[in-house]
Amino acid sequence: MTGFWTQAFTITRRDLLRERRSGEVLWVTLPFGAIALLLVPLAIGTDTRTLEAIGLGMFWVIVMLFGVLIAVRQTNTETQAQRDQVALAGIDPAAAYVGRSLASFLLLVVFETVLVFVTIVLYDIPLVGFEWMPLVILLVAAGLSLLGTLAAGIVSTGRSAAALVPLLVAPLSVPLLIGATQTFESLRYGRSSLAWILMMTIVTLLLGVAGVLSARTLQETG
Amino acid sequence: MCNTLRLVSGTSPIVDLESVSVRVGATHILRDINLSINGGDAIGIFGGNGAGKTTLLRLIATLIMPASGTATVFGVDVATDERYDIRTRIGYVGHTPGLFPEMTLSENLGFVAHAMGIDPEEADRSLAAVGLAGAANRRAEVCSHGMQRRAEFARVLMTKPDLLLLDEPHSALDADAVELVDALVARTLDAGGAAVLVSHDKERVLRVATEFAEIAGGTLS
Amino acid sequence: MTSPEQSELSPSSVWPWVVMAVAGLVTFVAAMSVSPDAVQGQLSRIMYVHVPAAWLAYLAFGITMFGSAMYLWKKSLKWDRLAHSSAEIGVFFTGLAIALGMTWAKPTWGVWWTWDARLTLTAIMFFVYLGYLALRRTTDNLEVRAKRASILGVVAIIQVPLVHFSVVWWRSLHQAPTIIRPEGPDMDTSMVVTLLIAVASFTVMYVAMMIKRMELAHLEDEITIEEQSHQGPAAGDAVVAPDLAGGV
Repeated sequence: MTGFWTQAFTITRRDLLRERRSGEVLWVTLPFGAIALLLVPLAIGTDTRTLEAIGLGMFWVIVMLFGVLIAVRQTNTETQAQRDQVALAGIDPAAAYVGRSLASFLLLVVFETVLVFVTIVLYDIPLVGFEWMPLVILLVAAGLSLLGTLAAGIVSTGRSAAALVPLLVAPLSVPLLIGATQTFESLRYGRSSLAWILMMTIVTLLLGVAGVLSARTLQETG
Repeated sequence: MCNTLRLVSGTSPIVDLESVSVRVGATHILRDINLSINGGDAIGIFGGNGAGKTTLLRLIATLIMPASGTATVFGVDVATDERYDIRTRIGYVGHTPGLFPEMTLSENLGFVAHAMGIDPEEADRSLAAVGLAGAANRRAEVCSHGMQRRAEFARVLMTKPDLLLLDEPHSALDADAVELVDALVARTLDAGGAAVLVSHDKERVLRVATEFAEIAGGTLS
Repeated sequence: MTSPEQSELSPSSVWPWVVMAVAGLVTFVAAMSVSPDAVQGQLSRIMYVHVPAAWLAYLAFGITMFGSAMYLWKKSLKWDRLAHSSAEIGVFFTGLAIALGMTWAKPTWGVWWTWDARLTLTAIMFFVYLGYLALRRTTDNLEVRAKRASILGVVAIIQVPLVHFSVVWWRSLHQAPTIIRPEGPDMDTSMVVTLLIAVASFTVMYVAMMIKRMELAHLEDEITIEEQSHQGPAAGDAVVAPDLAGGV
């Protein structure tokens, strides 16, 4: 038997390797997110001041909606035979949960980082408080990957699984969305954003605990 | 601990099913199955489509839970969390390959090796042993069904399980690969392990099976 | 109360229906007999259904969490039925509260929807539990369904307070709580009494609805279990030898 972290990292490496070969996140979902950022001004008008005002908000909305797709990308393609193989390699479901979340976390960090530059370029947003951006990107990536992986586990192999996951994740990602946007809103008005950072941290921790604790029960259900 | 001791002393069977039933949704897949498998046994199980062969094998592989009855594998009740401790001793080859399509055959086996703490070099050695040395760096998605099945046998060769579970082992295999199945079973039995072969192809399985049973309507006879 | 003969005819008793009708009638009479608000006029009567409906939504989702947690602990399907029944009733009353709130808001605030904290939170909860009900439709296996739904039921409620705080901090335009205040309620006593009667009636109504819904859920489970019992079909029974003589 190997240790928990060895197993988790084995899963992470597998997921990143599969992503490197398929390019699903970086060559499909990421450009799709960039297109979405391009579509918004086309629909609502190109008034510079409006775009400046909504730019950062649009960025976070797109991170939440498309980020879900990254976190659950394997739900609809994974076969029973593949799941069996992972289980019989002796991998603890909790380690698999952590490993998967970690891979999605890394991909989400790249996704967010690229899109934030796209947003700056397209919307000319004010860079107030951007020294906090790396931390907020990390927190959102962590929360969203843990939430998405948990939701994917809950839905698992049921009917219309791929369609259901975003419905479960989107409303529950509200604290992350509000936390991320309000961090910068507070900074813009010269107030402290620590409360928002703290809230996102708590959300992330709770999701991690919930995911690890429920992993075995969820694998049991097939 | 005492379970292991009993196993070593040879009094405890590797697999012990006591009036086990399995159902999925409203349908019974297995009913009141009693089966005991000891070290050195190679059991052939035959039955038609939908008879419950695959479900029986996945039950023994601790991948599904009995709805009623007790299933014990290596002295561990599969309904308990202890099943996580014995899974690496089970070698299961399903009738559809479970390889990750974007990864090469070598990477697929390497993944299992990493997870189980086996030297990753074993992966390539095992692939060579099943005649796939030339395809080790080919992605699973471009390999034929038969090659993928061979790669799965290579995985079992690498993990050296004490309990070998083969689902339709002879389908999609050429004559060489069929020999490979026989050799795998023989090696497992020599090491004191056991094998279960599920098939509708009686003739081939009976070449290696020490015992056999028919399954129909979810019941063994 | 039903007589023995009646209960043999129908497995469930009739009194929950009576309780629901009486509770509805009490709310209606109370809401119509109190004098209308000096400023808002007749429109204020919506409050006597809107507020209790919103209260029931929170109560129902709380019970769903309780049922889910109990299922994960005890693994008895009756807790899953409690969680499921309550979620269904909760979603209905959340929808009712939102619809009535919008009906009230349009003439009062001039808009159907406003982005205040409580409204937003209620809308989010509506979707969370809609997802919960959708999840329950993805499998027919009772135990699998119960496990998955229970985990979501618990995770959802962990998130709801966080959603609540985040939304409250985000924006609080909604009128401040008007009843529970240190200096006493800022409402006419007759209106307070009416509102309390309405809330009490709705709570009783919830209990009666739960009894009926859980009876129904129990029957649904019984049917499924009956199908899964030893008399049920085995998978292979559906497969017979091909008959090519039949003119294929």
